[in-house]
Amino acid sequence: MIGEKNYYLNIFQVDVPALDKLIGEALSTGGGYADLYFENTTYGSLLLRDGAVTSGGNHIDFGVGVRVLSGEKTGYAYSESTSWEDMLSSARAAAQIACGPTDVSPYGTRNPSRGEPNPHADRYPILQPWRGTPMSTFLPFLQKLEADVRSRDSRIVKVMVNLAFQVSDILMYNSQKELKWDTRPMGSVSLSVVFRQGEVTENKSTSRSFRCGAEMLSEKLAKEMAEDVVKGIDDRFAAKRPKGGRMPVVMGAGASGILLHEAMGHAFEADFNRKGTSIFADKMGKQICPKGIQIIDDGTLEGNRGSLNFDDEGIPGQKTYMVEDGVLTSYLHDRISAAHYGVKPTGNGRRESFRYAPLPRMRSTYMESGGAKAQDLISEVSKGIFVDEFSNGQVQIGEGDFTFYVKSGYLIENGRLTQPVKDINIIGNGPEALSDIRGVADDLSIDPGAWTCGKEQSVPVSCGIPTVLIGQLTVGGE
Amino acid sequence: MEKALLTPQEIALARHCLEYARSQGADAVRITLTKSLLNLVGVLNGEVDKTSHALDRSLQLQLFAKGRFGSFSSNRLDKEGLEAFIREALDTVGMLEADSFRSLPAPERLAKDAVTGQELGLYDPACETLTAEARREMALASCYYHSEKSSSRSEATQGVWGIRPPVSETNVFSLPRLIAEEGEYSDSVFDSLTLDSQGLEARHTETSFEIGYESTVEDADGRHYSSYWWDAAPRLEDLQLKGCAQKAYERARDQRNPQSVPSGKYTLILDSECASKVVTPVLSALGGYSLQQKNSFLTGSLGKQLFPQGLTILDVPRTKGDTGCRLFDSEGVATREMPVIENGVVKTYFLNTYISRKMEMEPTIEDATRVKVMPFGGCRTQEEVLQKVKDGILVTGFNGGNSNPATGNFSYGIEGFVIKDGKRLHPVREMLITGNFLTLWNHLEVAADDARPCLSKLVPTLAFSDVDFSA
Repeated sequence: MIGEKNYYLNIFQVDVPALDKLIGEALSTGGGYADLYFENTTYGSLLLRDGAVTSGGNHIDFGVGVRVLSGEKTGYAYSESTSWEDMLSSARAAAQIACGPTDVSPYGTRNPSRGEPNPHADRYPILQPWRGTPMSTFLPFLQKLEADVRSRDSRIVKVMVNLAFQVSDILMYNSQKELKWDTRPMGSVSLSVVFRQGEVTENKSTSRSFRCGAEMLSEKLAKEMAEDVVKGIDDRFAAKRPKGGRMPVVMGAGASGILLHEAMGHAFEADFNRKGTSIFADKMGKQICPKGIQIIDDGTLEGNRGSLNFDDEGIPGQKTYMVEDGVLTSYLHDRISAAHYGVKPTGNGRRESFRYAPLPRMRSTYMESGGAKAQDLISEVSKGIFVDEFSNGQVQIGEGDFTFYVKSGYLIENGRLTQPVKDINIIGNGPEALSDIRGVADDLSIDPGAWTCGKEQSVPVSCGIPTVLIGQLTVGGE
Repeated sequence: MEKALLTPQEIALARHCLEYARSQGADAVRITLTKSLLNLVGVLNGEVDKTSHALDRSLQLQLFAKGRFGSFSSNRLDKEGLEAFIREALDTVGMLEADSFRSLPAPERLAKDAVTGQELGLYDPACETLTAEARREMALASCYYHSEKSSSRSEATQGVWGIRPPVSETNVFSLPRLIAEEGEYSDSVFDSLTLDSQGLEARHTETSFEIGYESTVEDADGRHYSSYWWDAAPRLEDLQLKGCAQKAYERARDQRNPQSVPSGKYTLILDSECASKVVTPVLSALGGYSLQQKNSFLTGSLGKQLFPQGLTILDVPRTKGDTGCRLFDSEGVATREMPVIENGVVKTYFLNTYISRKMEMEPTIEDATRVKVMPFGGCRTQEEVLQKVKDGILVTGFNGGNSNPATGNFSYGIEGFVIKDGKRLHPVREMLITGNFLTLWNHLEVAADDARPCLSKLVPTLAFSDVDFSA
């Protein structure tokens, strides 16, 4: 949601002439570019545990970050107050990176995104504001969700529901005299359930997270989450660890998109390529996976956890094709890397808060649908594994090696899903896995969960993928 | 007493907030005031790439009112703003459901010896006099890449910190070629004061000095290999600046030419750098929240021999000058040295006031502070461990993976080396270990005595027999 300019200037008790003075101070030692990032974030949380909402709270985070660029070098400092003296002190600290005049390296004109980004989009309208709505309004949702979950399975011994929301007012100004502002909401509900069957305990969890207001706390959402968390629990109890080894892997639609995020997306972030550490550092313009595959990083999906009206450098949110028809066509850029590569920034300059300088980061990363049917991809496998629920993943940027923890899936035997499996890892190499994609189904799904990327700083992201068959990956088992 | 960060005005403000919350209807209050200062210099390929200066303050409030409880925080530390924040916070607490288990700890459990914050000797006044130039020189001290500027470091600085140019006989720019070298030096001061309405005033102040390097090398086939090395210490004089980048480079270089190894059962030797990976889940499973939510594979384990006879894991939170030590936990409860596992028997759960009341057990401490795995199996060093086990796989790092807290099952991606006759043979690639923590620990062969003091947990090189490796 975007408000009026003066709303933001008033929050931070600044005006444009003062911002210009600060920028002047930041550039006083010779830096080539400077920007200011003001943030006022309100957090709220409620926790239902042991049948009652007995814990909750509010948190305020307020401050301004000052960044100075001297070539590709960064000086950064921040203040938790916007008093003139404190801001001035931060500007002087950030200015220390420069020790003489430097040229501004303007980024190029080549636009890796399709079309011009819309600088006036409102990608997260708020119907019921989180701020100003009494927290007691949210209690019935948590209680209803818990009751719904408990009514669905007699093996449930514990239910925990956590509601977390935040609203951030952001004001950005830079030495190119660009003034941008935004208000970013985020609501997240996570549900964790412990089941007990005889002497065996199992847990399942699910989450939903969107950039929207409190209107997200609907009966529909509660029903959907309750259904989701009990779905497949019989298979979870029956699941075993399979025998490990190299085998074909069918990645289920939706949450398997974490594969793209970890194994490919990070290696496409331009800072790793600028420094030469990424496995994709010399692959621009080359065929890196079969023809027909598109891989996208998108900041324009309405209400999506990774979407932005503007990134944290004031660049309009946009949709960036990283891979088109199997060819690597763009990295993900912030202003520094865009200048380095001579392209326009792609709106991927993101930061955790005013305490951090921005870095190239993903937003919502997904692969477009292909032409196959999911069932047909499974039918092609005589002995392999189907995976559909992940908890996390990790990649080594230099080598491209990745590992994902699979919470649930199934063996594929003679083209059919058979024995449920759990608690295993799949491991592979990003470029090798990309080039070994054997089929892409027509069922792209963006996972609605509360994914957070932790590259140096934590930022909200989302991921998605259609059902995909990969020829060979290593599966960890007994 | 040395200089610290929190000012008398800020401390007075915290005390005022405590009294104000009481005056507005809180039955009990706990306040934690924290302030930290961080200075960081980042280096990329021999040149300063970034600098950062950060000063943080936060006031956290825990309010107990009419049988209800809420937790709040703000970094806007003006008196009027905080008073309004406290009034709103109490309104929020009022709409929560009552929870009879919430209370402050019994007064006799509170720390009484954390008065100045510097009783543990974790504050080094060297942080007060460091200049930007000194920080820059330390960041550049061990890197291979040399710019004109970095090679002009002063003799005085070399003398003070023992900095020497990196070894010149190693040509890191021939194959395997060093293609990127990133480093960071940072120093920080952390100062906190915990107050409660029973009269608790417990302070903790510490400094930390850190150096870290990450190197990426490229082999003749264009494959990249990355690794890191780091060190940290509460006192600057103990920071090992020298050799940090060299070790990162060597660790990256040694990963070249990895080979696949057949799946099967092998002896797992865990390098002390990453051995806490198998200790942390055990501590989490002994944590009150996991136990109370029945989401722990160690439910009902207290007093039982579930680990091998002879294995002892201690919590040693009060060692002077030792990284991570604390005199009190987040409730202000005094820490004490105690066994977590003694001769294989589970000796304690980690129960704070709230969870202990819910579980109808005696409270202990909120969490382990400074865990120490005691020697087991008769080896002191990793070299002795390798000689003892002869064959196996030495794991030097993890790549992803996870564990199931309810069952204790785990699966982790690993990197490391095949060990044959006590020697490193070659690196391995795309391998996983899977198993169950209780089963793993009951196959413990050796715990050496080589834990790095900079790590938060003192876990030495460990060796376990019959571990499932998949490749």
